[in-house]
Parts: sequence; structure tokens; C-alpha cells
Amino acid sequence: MTDLQWARISNDAFNVALFAYIAAMVGYFAHLAFKRDAIWQTARVVAVAGVVANIVSIVARGFAADRVPWGNMYEYSSLLALLVVIGALVVVEGVYKVRSLTGFALMFSVLTMAVAVSFLYVGPGPLVPALNSYWIKIHVQAAIWGSSLFALGGIATIAYLVVDRVERRSLDALGSKDRPPIMGGALDLDADAPADLVPDSAEDVETRPAKRRLVPSAAGLDRLAYRIIALAFPIWTFAVIAGAVWAQEAWGRYWGWDPKETWSFITWVIFAGYLHARATNGWKGRRAAFIALVGFASLLVTYYVVNLWIVGLHSYAK
Amino acid sequence: MGPVSAPQRLTPRQSVALVWRTLRSMRTALILLLMIALASVAGSLLPQWPNTPERVMRYRADHPVWGTFLDRAGLFDVFGSWWFVLLTTLLFVSLVACLVPRTRALWRALRTPPMQAREIDAFPRYAQVAVAAGPDQVIDAARRVLRRHRFRVARDPSRPALAGEKGLAREIGSLGFHWALILLLTGVIYGKGTGFSGLIAVVEGQTWVDAEANYDGTIRAGRFFDGDFTGTGLRLREFRSDFQRTGQPMDFVSRVDLLDPDGSVTRREDIRVNHPARIEGLWIHQSSFGWAPVIEVTDGGQVAASGPVVMDRDPAPEGVVEFAMPWRGVVKLPGAGTDGLDRAIELELWPDSRALTALLAEQEPQAMLVEFDPIIRFSVWEGALTDLSTNRLDTTGLDEVSSGIVGAGRTADLADGAALAAGDAGSGATISFTELRQYSVFQVGRDAGVPLVLAAAILVLVGLLPALYSSRRKVWVRADPDGHGSLLRVGGLAMQRKPQFEEEFDRLVGALVSSAGGRRAPDPGAGGPGPEQREPEEHEKVQTP
Ligand code: HEM
Repeated sequence: MTDLQWARISNDAFNVALFAYIAAMVGYFAHLAFKRDAIWQTARVVAVAGVVANIVSIVARGFAADRVPWGNMYEYSSLLALLVVIGALVVVEGVYKVRSLTGFALMFSVLTMAVAVSFLYVGPGPLVPALNSYWIKIHVQAAIWGSSLFALGGIATIAYLVVDRVERRSLDALGSKDRPPIMGGALDLDADAPADLVPDSAEDVETRPAKRRLVPSAAGLDRLAYRIIALAFPIWTFAVIAGAVWAQEAWGRYWGWDPKETWSFITWVIFAGYLHARATNGWKGRRAAFIALVGFASLLVTYYVVNLWIVGLHSYAK
Repeated sequence: MGPVSAPQRLTPRQSVALVWRTLRSMRTALILLLMIALASVAGSLLPQWPNTPERVMRYRADHPVWGTFLDRAGLFDVFGSWWFVLLTTLLFVSLVACLVPRTRALWRALRTPPMQAREIDAFPRYAQVAVAAGPDQVIDAARRVLRRHRFRVARDPSRPALAGEKGLAREIGSLGFHWALILLLTGVIYGKGTGFSGLIAVVEGQTWVDAEANYDGTIRAGRFFDGDFTGTGLRLREFRSDFQRTGQPMDFVSRVDLLDPDGSVTRREDIRVNHPARIEGLWIHQSSFGWAPVIEVTDGGQVAASGPVVMDRDPAPEGVVEFAMPWRGVVKLPGAGTDGLDRAIELELWPDSRALTALLAEQEPQAMLVEFDPIIRFSVWEGALTDLSTNRLDTTGLDEVSSGIVGAGRTADLADGAALAAGDAGSGATISFTELRQYSVFQVGRDAGVPLVLAAAILVLVGLLPALYSSRRKVWVRADPDGHGSLLRVGGLAMQRKPQFEEEFDRLVGALVSSAGGRRAPDPGAGGPGPEQREPEEHEKVQTP
């Protein structure tokens, strides 16, 4: 097949994936509304079909350009969308048995892909010399894997804040003055344990959210968000390190406070702050969640604003 | 930030203790981390002197008052400003303040056996089972079981009881991670402090030697740079560049010989964008490239100047690719003009003369990606030169006396610009464009901290994994005589990952029971405690109101 044919296949598969994700998203939201298992199963199949199309699109793009298919913003977006959906299906639904967030993850991917195809599209072509390195390939992969997990963590955090609010409301409606210590996961769950047994840990009593409920409790969502972010953090750390190794190779300095470097550092520091906040009295729960949201925002800035608007050595990456 | 205001006067000792306690608190660390993030945001949104000085100058020109204020506040050099250094120092002092006691505690925990428990049934996980074996046998078996599950085990000397502990890796990892951050900072400070970095331009065929005077412009050196240059050399044999049709560079490579201080060739290397050379602790990186025509100027039959002229380009105007711009250089000849005036020959090189032809025919500017019939337009100036050092010509005080065009391999008369045939000396003052060469710009620098920084970064990563994913848990086992066998009681506590521990604990109890000879039927009539698993405490179960 010629490069042009591969490029056609890639673009067609991209559109198929986008529409499958939209359909699956609608399905998952319908499942949230009507709580019917059949809807969920259908939506899941459609989402998996979207994943397959997305993979086909990425692989075909690689053949069309004769290089690894992650060399510009359009390609990053496609990969990010794919990994967010896979993460939602495998990690959130598979490992943690939470179905209610997949619709939102699909929404994130749909937006990412829509932005990519409308504003960031470039035809397949070779890379500029600076990007033609072993380390950049590793760095970009790690950065996208980390980003996709942070995105899922951000979704879980938003869900936590919403459910927490609802729980507080309904408690207030009951007129209860003394909240049980479990509420919202915001309070120290070990408050009444013997002092020398209180773990100084970032985690709470239970890690798994309630199994039988469609929407987990606030505390469950809080822990889920923590688990996902704790998974993303070392990957992001690795991405930053790999980026520094590449910068040393390409520019002779591993760190130069270039806007892209600065923002990936900011994102890293904010999530380090989040991990700290979860172990700091008075900062657990909602305050920590707000820090995670700031981290999520910082990630979006790192990804879109820096790549597209702020000038730096990395700016050719678009 | 913390409890700094005190109601009554503190003794110096108390104040120190208070500052120390504030520094050690998690809240301080958290706030410092967030402040560093905030400062970095400012550093990325405003132009910075070290990265984009021209944009700082433009910003200052556009906003005179505000710009001066920002500059005074260090906001155009955030990462070098005193307050950023202060924040970083505070964070790392705080880090040491946290780490010292934690490390001591870990050291103690590693050397002391797990602590025995008095009230075994008060732990979040608890089980009791009547088993067949006697107390001492139960404890011996339990010890083996726990060891097999990689617990550290200690036997209670006063009664048949054990304490077991597992998962110190979490704390080891966390401490390793945090100490590695300090190591990382040390490596950065050491490397930047003792290192330097500068740019060099080398023309094809020329040799450059590592000495202070041979760097272009200023060298960026660290505070503790010892000023030692290695004397090693680099000869550029050839430079090649490939472009796409769009003018996007595909690859450029400098083929070089690396030379010992005595001038002998150590090795040959190809230096490319992602492929630097290293010699004697120096990193040599491909930075940029350009054209260097070899020019010979004669005057009265004597050679007045000869050699390659390293050329620059003016920045391209909006909508023009930079490769469409001609290259500029100048040959300065003090005292070589008429009546002892200074003479300067300004050169404008068109490496691909088709672009010039197109421009003269008022077509679009064309990118010059390959060498094709290169030509130089020159103009001769006479007067008093103000500046002999730069590649630029300041024409104040100079008059243009003639101009002309000379192609590669040709000679022209300086007096009237006319082309000269070979052997024709014309007016006696000539310019020859002998050949066109390329030059390559390298960034040369030294950073002895790189290996340390890399090692620290790897430690950071390795420490994170157990710190985030492992968990610390403890169990206690006790066996008391009970009828014909004993009553096995097991208590458990997990600091993290509690639901996983529930399952692990249940499995552990199962293994302990079978190692103790299995469950024993309740003694007839004794009414003793049968197998019993205590339910988790109420607050662990509650999910919703
Ligand atoms: C240099 C800046 C710092 C960074 C980037 C940082 C980052 C982190 C990260 C990523 C974690 C989670 C992984 C782990 O448990 O090791 C963590 C945990 C922790 N940090 Fe830091 N830290 C910094 C400074 C500090 C300081 C100054 C303190 C002292 C207050 C501190 C105390 C702790 C503690 C006690 C934990 C364990 C929390 C837990 O049990 O989960 N850190 N830190």
C-alpha cells in the first residue's frame, strides 16, 4: 500500500473511533440514567470497537509517515484519547469495578479528538531532526501514559467533589448536626483509633469503592482518584526524567526552564503537593481534591497552551 | 506559615525549636511546594532573560514602568532570583528537618524487633480459633508461617506470643525518594557551579582549540568555574545538511576530527542534533550552521586579506522563510584605503543565485537550500572604522566608493566592480571569491554533575515505587492453653491498603490454623469459644448514611 492509502485509512479509522466513542458515551450516560445492564453491555462493546478503530488509525498513521506515530499534537491527541478510554475500561471498570466514570472518560476523549481533528490536523510527514531521537520516543510515550491516567484521576476527583457535595446536602437535609466521621472521606477516618495506631498514611481505611452501587460513595471516589494519581505520578516522573535525558542529548543541558519543561515541572510539583496533602492533617479530602484539580488544569496547560501558544524550544512539536 | 507568632517572649532556644518544628511540619512542606509551583508559573508566562532576552527587551520597551518593576522584582529571571533560591533553600532545609528524625526512626525500627502487644483483640483485624496443637507448638509453627510470608518476627519472652511486621519497604522507599531529591539538588548545584557553556563557530577545514579566547561572545560559567580549558581540538572536515522540499531541515551533520592537546587525532565523529560528541569531559553539541565564503583581497599585487568569512543572516521579515534571506559578512582592512583611510568590504552572499535572479525579476523570495552558482554582491567603503571586532559594519563615517558582484571561483576589480579574467590584475585592488564553505556552530560545555543528577533521578524513581505501592502491616499471634489444645488468637493492623489486608489477614489466619494442627472441635461441655471471626468495626463498613 502507498503512503497515501495508509493516510486515508488512518483518517477514516480516526473518524470511526470518534463516532464510536460518541455513541458509547451516550450509552454510558443512558446507563447512568436508566441503570439497565443491557445498555451498559452495549455501550461497552461500542467503546471497545472505538478502541480498535483508534488503534488502527494510529498504526496506519505510522505506516503513512514511516516513523513512530507520535510526532505532533494531532498524533499525541489520538494516542491520549485511546489511552484514556483503555484506562477507563481496564483500570477503572476492570480493576476497581466502577462503571459510572467511563462516560466522562469517553467525553474527555471525544473532546480531545474533536479538537485534534479540527485544529491540530497535519498530514503525515517526517520529523524535524531534534525529534528524531530514541529518548524522545520514550519520553512522549511516558508523558501520554501519565497524562491519560492524570486525566482519569481528574475525572474521579471531580466525581468525588460532586458526590461529596450531594452527600453533605442530604445529610444537612436530615438535620443531622454531628456528622459521622466517614462523611466525604474528608475527615480523618482513624480519628477514634488509639493514638499510636493512627497511620500517618495518605490512604484511608478502605481502598475499594462499594461494589454493588453504580456511583460509589464520596469516600470511595476519593480513594479511587488517589489510586489512579498514585499510578500516574511515577510515570510522569519518568517522563520528566526521560525528557531531561533527551534535552541533555539534543541541547547540551538537561534542564533549561523552557516553557514546556517548566510546565511539566509545575504539574509534577502540584501532584507531589497532592500526595502530601493526603497525608497532612487538615488538607485531606476536599482540599487535596482541589489541589488535584489544579494539577489537572496544569496538565492541560502543559499540553495545549504551551504547545500552541508559548514559544520555546519545544514549539516545533506542533 | 505555621505558628510563628508567639504570645509571650521566647528564649532563643525556644525560638529555634519553634522554627525547627515549623519547618518540620507537613503543612510547611506543602505550602512551600505550592509556592514553588506558583513562582514557576510566573517564570513561564513572562519572558525570561536567560531564555529569550530579546523578548524581555521588547516587553520592557512596551511597558516601561511595569517592566522596570517586574525586572527589579526578579520576574524576568524567576529561576535565578533571590526569592526563588530562598524558597528552594527553605524547602530543602525543611526536607532535611523532616528526614533526619524519620531516618533515625526507620533505623531504630530496622534494628529493633517488632513490638509485642498487650491487648491483642483491640486491633482492627482479629480472629480467634481453637486449635489442636499446644501453645508452644502453635507459636513455633506460627513463626515459620510468618517467616514464609516474609514477616519479621519476634517472640515474646514472657509468654507464648509473637509479633510480626512487614512492609518497611514503604518507609525505606519514601526516605530514599526524599534523600534522592537532596542528592539531585546537590548534583545540579555542583555541575552548574563548576561548569560552563559557550558557542563556537568552526569553518570546514578549520581547527578550533578549547581555550577561553576561542569562544564566540560570552561564556556562561558557574560561580566556581576554575577557568581551566582543556586544549583539546576539533577540526571540521565537512558539514552536510538535508532539507525537505518545504524547507524544513531533515538532518544536519558535522563530520569532525577530535584532537588531543598535542594536535594528534583522537577519533573521528559525526556530530548531529541528537548525537553530541564527548571529549575530556566536554560535551560538544550541534547548534546551528551557515555559510563561510573564502575571500581573498589583494591591494597593489599584495594579499591584504585571505580566508573564510563567517556570515550571518538578517532576521526574516513576516511571511518570508529564513532560508530565503541572503547572508552578510564584512572584511575590514584598517588603513588599506586611499590616503591611509580604513577600508571595509561589505559582502552579501546568495548561495543559490537563482533566488537573487527571482527576486530581481520581482518574484516571490525563494528558500536557498542548496549551493547553486553562488554569488556575492559587495560594496567597498572608505573612511574611519569605529569598530573592528564584529561581523557587522557600522557605516557612520564611511563612504561607499564602489560596488560589484563576484561569483564563486572568480575575481573582480575592487575599484569599479568589473569582473576580471584570470591573470588580469585590473587596478591592482581585487577581490576573489575562491570557494564556498560551510561553518558549523557548536555548543561546547562542561557539566560534571550530570552523572550524579542522573543517578539521583533514578533513585527518585526507584524510591517512589515502594513508597506508593507497598504497605506496612503488623500481626500479633498468641496461643493460650485451652482444653486439649490451645486457643489461637491473631490480631492485625495495616497502615495502608486496608481492604487488601483483610483478605491477606484471612489467608494468614487460615495458614496459621492449619500449621497449628487444624481446628479443634469444641470440648464437650466446655462451651469454650468456637471459631470466631470478628466483624470489622462499624465505621469501616459504613458506606452511606
Ligand atoms: C522537595 C520537595 C518534596 C517533594 C517533591 C516531595 C514529594 C513527595 C511524594 C511524591 C510523596 C509520596 C511518595 C512517598 O510516600 O514517598 C511524598 C511523601 C511524603 N513526604 Fe514529601 N516531598 C517533598 C518534601 C517533603 C518535606 C519537606 C517533608 C516534611 C514535612 C516531606 C514529608 C513527606 C512524608 C511524611 C511523606 C509520606 C506520606 C505518606 O505516608 O504517604 N516531604 N513526598
